[in-house]
Amino acid sequence: EFKERTIRVSNGINADHPVGNGIKAMQQCLDEKSGGKMKLQAFWGGALGGDLQATQALRSGVQEAVVTSSSPLVGIEPALGVFDLPFLFANAQEAYKVLDGKFGDMMTEKLAAVGLVNLGYWENGFRNLSNSVRPVNKWEDFEGMKVRVMQNNIFLDTFQNLGANATPMAFGEVFSALETKTIDAQENPYVTIDTSKFFEVQKYVTETNHAYTPFLFLFSKAIFDTYAPEEQAALRECATVGRDVERGVIADLNKKSLEKIKAAGLEVNKLSEDEQKRIREKSMVVYEKHKATIGAEVVDSVLAELAAIRK
Amino acid sequence: MTLLVFIASLLGAMAIGVPVAFALMFCGVTLMWYMGMFNSQIIAQNMIAGADTFTLLAIPFFVLAGELMNSGGLSRRIIDFAIACVGHIRGGLGIVAIMAAVIMASISGSAAADTAALAAILIPMMAKAGYNVPRSAGLIASGGIIAPVIPPSMAFIVFGVAANVSITQLFMAGIVPGILMGLALVVAWQITVRKDNVKPLAKTSGGERLRATGRAAWALGMPIIILGGIKAGVVTPTEAAVIAAAYAMFVGMVIYRELKPRDLPHVILQAAKTTAIIMFLVCAALVSSWLITAANIPGEITRYIEPLIDRPMLLMFVIMLLVLLVGTALDLTPTILILTPVLMPIIKQAGIDPVYFGVMFIMNCCIGLITPPVGVVLNVVSGVGRVPLGKVVTGITPFLLAQVAILMLLVIFPQIVTVPAQWLR
Amino acid sequence: MTKAINLFYKLLEILLILLLSGMAIMVFLNVILRYGFNSGLTVSDEMARYFFVWLTFIGAVVGFREYGHMGVESFVALFGRRGRIVCMLLSNLVILGVSLLFFWGTWKQLPINSSMKAPVTGLSMGWVYGIGFFTGGGCALIAFERLLRIVTGRVTENEIAAFAGEGQNIEKMVERA
Ligand code: NA
Ligand code: NA
Repeated sequence: EFKERTIRVSNGINADHPVGNGIKAMQQCLDEKSGGKMKLQAFWGGALGGDLQATQALRSGVQEAVVTSSSPLVGIEPALGVFDLPFLFANAQEAYKVLDGKFGDMMTEKLAAVGLVNLGYWENGFRNLSNSVRPVNKWEDFEGMKVRVMQNNIFLDTFQNLGANATPMAFGEVFSALETKTIDAQENPYVTIDTSKFFEVQKYVTETNHAYTPFLFLFSKAIFDTYAPEEQAALRECATVGRDVERGVIADLNKKSLEKIKAAGLEVNKLSEDEQKRIREKSMVVYEKHKATIGAEVVDSVLAELAAIRK
Repeated sequence: MTLLVFIASLLGAMAIGVPVAFALMFCGVTLMWYMGMFNSQIIAQNMIAGADTFTLLAIPFFVLAGELMNSGGLSRRIIDFAIACVGHIRGGLGIVAIMAAVIMASISGSAAADTAALAAILIPMMAKAGYNVPRSAGLIASGGIIAPVIPPSMAFIVFGVAANVSITQLFMAGIVPGILMGLALVVAWQITVRKDNVKPLAKTSGGERLRATGRAAWALGMPIIILGGIKAGVVTPTEAAVIAAAYAMFVGMVIYRELKPRDLPHVILQAAKTTAIIMFLVCAALVSSWLITAANIPGEITRYIEPLIDRPMLLMFVIMLLVLLVGTALDLTPTILILTPVLMPIIKQAGIDPVYFGVMFIMNCCIGLITPPVGVVLNVVSGVGRVPLGKVVTGITPFLLAQVAILMLLVIFPQIVTVPAQWLR
Repeated sequence: MTKAINLFYKLLEILLILLLSGMAIMVFLNVILRYGFNSGLTVSDEMARYFFVWLTFIGAVVGFREYGHMGVESFVALFGRRGRIVCMLLSNLVILGVSLLFFWGTWKQLPINSSMKAPVTGLSMGWVYGIGFFTGGGCALIAFERLLRIVTGRVTENEIAAFAGEGQNIEKMVERA
């Protein structure tokens, strides 16, 4: 029932990202289940095109799989915008419970409707802020800061709402722009701040945890449907194995990256719990503004599930 | 084997006269047929996704700025300025040509346009002064190809996007090698011009020199705006490009008053057409590039050159020879687009600095513009200067050798590129 | 008929001028807003990109009609008239083929692109990616018309010369480097 399959998996990040460890673990699992017949062929650094382009290739049945963060896909499935909402999850445990539970399944169904099989929620992680101006202890500290954000309406509104000057910019230009002070700040997971060497040109890092982005392990529905049930099951189970490995590596790496950032002499601080709360309340206007686009039932249901968890 | 299919389909199509853009699409189609994944959507999607990139927007604006500069009379004033500065020294008009070429390179990104402007004004002057005409034409063509090495440069933008390398860093890293190319030409010119019996120009008076500088000042402000703006971090390359276009229009229309409002539609249309030609090629290359990657052709090549991976300098040497060879037959942009997806993974694996490689690669592709049989800049200088192509090829030889020598020098001493690039970053 | 076709290309040229001017104005405006007033219009960044896509793919058809696309003509130029005509025939067949595939791929992709919205303006991406119909169809038509004339022996000497890369003016050369 298992056929020789080469599964091309496109990644925007580089091979040394924890996703690499996840893919290795997934391959090991697939080797066992398929007797070495199912092979993952990973492409790194956007070699097969950007995340959005690769996802479109999945929908048209041209390519098998992609590991992509949810943000670039809101044009395809607006509900995914829910993961861009600021300060949604307070910690990783909350995120895992929601994503691996009922709410995650609901989003997976929505993705199936647009031709994408979601094999699981891997992790990009919490995004944090680095800047060269001042330590950020409260939302007022964002005032006037030039922050590079992704070209994404929710991110733009989030930072503008906090008084920052949100500037969309291609990732490849961020380092130079920080160095020459075209921009003051950028926001990314610790691992990215470390691997992209942003710490060399920044003075302050604040653990804002302002957004948690999942990586979706997406498979082309057009191709998936041609696979035998055993093959489909193997992919689903092994993607989960890979997910757990990847999340574990990220947690370790986050700690290591943070140590490295500190060792480089940057001043690192964490938003206090009270301030987190204040910022979340301040950011509720962003929730209201984008509720209609994301889908009111989606926003309400994630907030309800979070309320239940936090009780 | 896939490598063979790739090369055969591409070369075959180009040989029967299919334009490179369509040949790249054809090569993509052949590859997907060979790999058993024939799907027309691969073409449609990669083509258009390729153009939808904000960084590439710098191309039309730099092209427009260059067109506006030439119609606005800036080239003329730059040449007058160079004559006032160095016209009187030995081999004067040749040094003028090189100096003007370097200044124009820091304003425009087009080797052909710069060469045309220089040749139109300087070749008749040099002939009259008694310089060997084919050699003068050769010098001007070799000076013209500095344009894409010194920023602004469409070639760096195309490479930066194709290779995912910072365009700002490429721009800054190109300055020193570009100037070195100019210096190499000075040396080669002074050696070859010894035997010519030439009457040097009279030395310009201090007052005249000041006036020429004043007239050229507006044009000389352009590189300061472009490079200063990017370097100081005020603007991104795309924004710098649009500011440059606005500035060129202002200077041409308001200051020099050579550009009339009724000229604008033609200038803009010409820039639009040039942009479309470059961009269509970029887009078509993304189709073949996607399939080159999916078929893992770089992996196949890496297997052949495995022993070189640990010897970066030798690897660079071999690659530079390959690019020189390809450059004899192919123009600048097609060479970049065809070779980047194939070479970049190898460069990364060998641990070669991508910015350094980018500068070397573009320099080498520019040299290809003056190597026969196919060299657009040779054709330009031959057409504008009314010198037969064969004679230009003879006349250019010493300068071509000088440029290749600089290239090899930079292979042996990469620090000449990387250290100043580090300062300027 | 020829008059109508020329008028059509004249309109395309006007469109190209408008697109490039529009892009320049939008990006320039954004620079002014960003540095002068510390704000920016994300709409104009996005629209400038789409104008760029349209400019590229409309200009590609205009360029093809004018023999403006870069090629390696030196091999073809070695042949006599007959050999050149054979190459011209084969070359246009290749172009016809890939252009039709481009058109066909755009058609198959249409549902996927139409269901995707631009992040800022919310414009259906069908409008952006749909330009493949124009370019694929346009180039296919031009190639087909040329093939017809080659087969019926109505191809002009000027065209054969242009195909072999002869008689290019400076403007055409500047487009190439
Ligand atoms: Na230049
Ligand atoms: Na050449």
